[in-house]
Amino acid sequence: MSVPHIKIANASKSFGPVEALKDVSIDIPRGSFTTFLGPSGCGKTTMLRTIAGFYNLDGGDIYIGDRLINNVPSHQRNAIMVFQDYALFPHMNIGANIAYGLKINKIPQEEIRKRVARTVQYLGIEGLESRSPGQISGGQQQRAALARALVMEPEVLLLDEPLSNLDAKLRMNIRAELRQLQKRLGITTIYVTHDQAEALALSDQIAVMNKGQVIQIGSSWEIYYKPKNTFVADFVGTANLVPGEVAEKNDRAVTVDVGEARLQVEEPNLKIERGERVTLCIRPETIQLSVAEAEESLNSFQGVITNHIFEGASVRYWIETGKRKIIADVFDPSDQGIYTGRVTLSVHPNKVHILSGASQGSN
Amino acid sequence: MLREPLLLATILIIGICLVLFVLYPIVRVFTYPSLKDFVEVPRNIRYLRAIRNSLLMVILSTSTATLFGFLFAYTVTRTDVPLKRVFKLISILPLFSPPFMVAFSYLMMFGKNGLITAHLFGLRVSIFGWHGLWLSETIAFFPVAALIMEGVLQSISPSLEYAGRNLGATGFTLFRTVTFPLARPGVAGAALLVSILILADFGNPIMIAGDFSVLATEAWLRVEGWGDVSGAAVLSSVLLLPSLAIFLIQRYWVGRSSYITITGKLTQGEHDPTKWYIRWSLFSFCFLVSVMIILVYVAILAGAVVKGWGFDWTPTLEYLRSIFSRSPELMHSLTFAVAAGFTSAVIAITASYLVSRKRFPLRKLMDFACILPAALPGIFFGIGYSIAFTRPPIDLYGTAVIIILSMIFWNISMGYQTGIGAFQQISPSLGEAASNLGAGSMKIFWQIEAPLVKTSFFSAFVVSFIRAITTLSVIVFLATSNNVVATFTIMNLVSDGFYGKAAALTTALLLLAFAVLGLAKLLIGKRMELFRI
Repeated sequence: MSVPHIKIANASKSFGPVEALKDVSIDIPRGSFTTFLGPSGCGKTTMLRTIAGFYNLDGGDIYIGDRLINNVPSHQRNAIMVFQDYALFPHMNIGANIAYGLKINKIPQEEIRKRVARTVQYLGIEGLESRSPGQISGGQQQRAALARALVMEPEVLLLDEPLSNLDAKLRMNIRAELRQLQKRLGITTIYVTHDQAEALALSDQIAVMNKGQVIQIGSSWEIYYKPKNTFVADFVGTANLVPGEVAEKNDRAVTVDVGEARLQVEEPNLKIERGERVTLCIRPETIQLSVAEAEESLNSFQGVITNHIFEGASVRYWIETGKRKIIADVFDPSDQGIYTGRVTLSVHPNKVHILSGASQGSN
Repeated sequence: MLREPLLLATILIIGICLVLFVLYPIVRVFTYPSLKDFVEVPRNIRYLRAIRNSLLMVILSTSTATLFGFLFAYTVTRTDVPLKRVFKLISILPLFSPPFMVAFSYLMMFGKNGLITAHLFGLRVSIFGWHGLWLSETIAFFPVAALIMEGVLQSISPSLEYAGRNLGATGFTLFRTVTFPLARPGVAGAALLVSILILADFGNPIMIAGDFSVLATEAWLRVEGWGDVSGAAVLSSVLLLPSLAIFLIQRYWVGRSSYITITGKLTQGEHDPTKWYIRWSLFSFCFLVSVMIILVYVAILAGAVVKGWGFDWTPTLEYLRSIFSRSPELMHSLTFAVAAGFTSAVIAITASYLVSRKRFPLRKLMDFACILPAALPGIFFGIGYSIAFTRPPIDLYGTAVIIILSMIFWNISMGYQTGIGAFQQISPSLGEAASNLGAGSMKIFWQIEAPLVKTSFFSAFVVSFIRAITTLSVIVFLATSNNVVATFTIMNLVSDGFYGKAAALTTALLLLAFAVLGLAKLLIGKRMELFRI
């Protein structure tokens, strides 16, 4: 991943008084699956549409390869988009929809026929070519829209929340298929979603966005376990955000006083001072519960369970620890059953993460 | 239902009104003439000529009005033509003006003694005749087409056009392969609705067509010239059939094959910049048409303040003063239209509530009777009232009541459809919740639904009022010296050549229409939905 396939540099865009993109810079490696993740109105769709060429940037540059595409019209970018509402032309049948782009680009009849046939087979929608978009199911429409993009053999594939109109089960299936397909074809793909689970499952790289800015770029693992600030920690997955004060520091670990206990965090080489206020991010599934009235061991503290929900594969507990409520997930509850009353919580030092910019507190 | 006497009574009253004042007059038009009168039609040379002329005008005027409407709608929704908002504003004006106004003012501008033709250019031409009618109808009715097609173009999901561009279609290719095919059902629908209006048009041909008579004017001449009510009924029936057929096609066929779907989010669109030659062609076109519309109003206002249009250009306020000081017809127009507009809105909204929320026998018939008047040419409706209600058992000859009733029921469809649309948007669960808490039908209507459809009620009132105060065709058979309204007097004044007084009276009508419109706009603001077609 030496030279990025797509390079977005300092992109900015306003709609009237609304700043949709503020100085956005992202590098997208060739053949990768990159997701723009964020709440609605964060600028992710605007960024995608700008790459597609529907919007012009007010400032900054976009490159595909080494070609500056700021002023290249949409149809000459070969960056093909699959729309959230699929945008299948209702006045054409599925076959004509898929062939549309090829026809416009004056590909010979015979080749169009071949490529369409290959693509529909690839996506498992053979036999639907003569149907109109209204006559096929949501999942089939989704595939047809994908086929219309893939048949163009695009250099870049752009997906705008393509799964959001499908039901949960279908969404899971297509999600897996989509990732497989993308890997097989090796197309550089950009995916927009507000669903963090989808983003984590699909992406090589995630760009978390908020209010027109990129907050953090990283792999799914980094985004989940090493969120840069409270926004990312809170938006991606469930997080216990625990404010505290740095009590001790050596080159291997930091000890943070959070009130109920002192928690040791394995964060080597962190630039941090004693006495600094920080926020800890503790994922619910990293907390271990036990009923034993444990002696004050490392990184453990007491709490009282106030509520729980049973989710089959796991149980989620809400635990009152004196100063705050902690959420903890316990997997495979088949052995120990449901805990009640007083419990001891403990968390391993390498599973706690210190958020930078933590002084802003949780928001 | 039987446990709710008030609901039952409401259904009965509205049902009886609709049967008596919508269905009965229609039936009377067909039953009044003898069968022989109908059989005679193909042998009467005047009838045949009127049929041929009507057909010709429908084809000519519908084509141009639809084309103009489409170009306007396209300009407003899809281009960056300068001043497009101004063009749109101007194109709306004719919707709130008496339909005959265009013909009247073009007569003053381009007639034998017209300001522009004779006095500015010294030409000895006249617009009088079929070509004048063509121009007037195009200008008078293209705004309706523009309004409909604007809605159609706006409701095409922008992502479809984006998808087309993304796949390589630009400029005209995009228009030819995506935009236009998607708009085609809407264009067809607009053309059909406009053709109904043109077929039924009475005001323009009576003023500008001269002896080029169409069905509507020929029917009027039968009564005016020969006192032949049977002949007028026969001609009106001939007029009704194509109107009704077009209406049904529009409603049940084109209406269904529409591609308009409300999908996903409507993203803010950025269009490709329009090519310069397209931008300036559209600009010139819209500019010219807007000038033609402005001219209509200029002529009317100017005509009202000069002594003798065409020969004595001395400014005078005499006409306006006399209109505003003593003019029974203006007073009638105002009071009748207020009464009719209000009653029409009450009945229309109540009926739309009953049809969309209640189950009762003959519900479908009530729906049909409320929609039907939209398909009826004003002339047909008027002759129906004059046959049904000017002789025993119901003799309302020369009364205010007969005119008000005709206005109420001729305009009921507009308010009714606005109401149906509103009730569709209000979740029935609100009413169910109220009912669950113990409210009866009437309580639910007045306490839950009515406040939510208040805006629709105002819209229905405004539309009914404006249509009532500007109509000529409906009242032309019903007006006598006792209940005469302004539009009728204007028609007589124009045909007798008293342009000054006619222009002053038209100005006053316009002022009233725009005053009510402005007031409503002030009261309910943007949410007002005036033309639901």
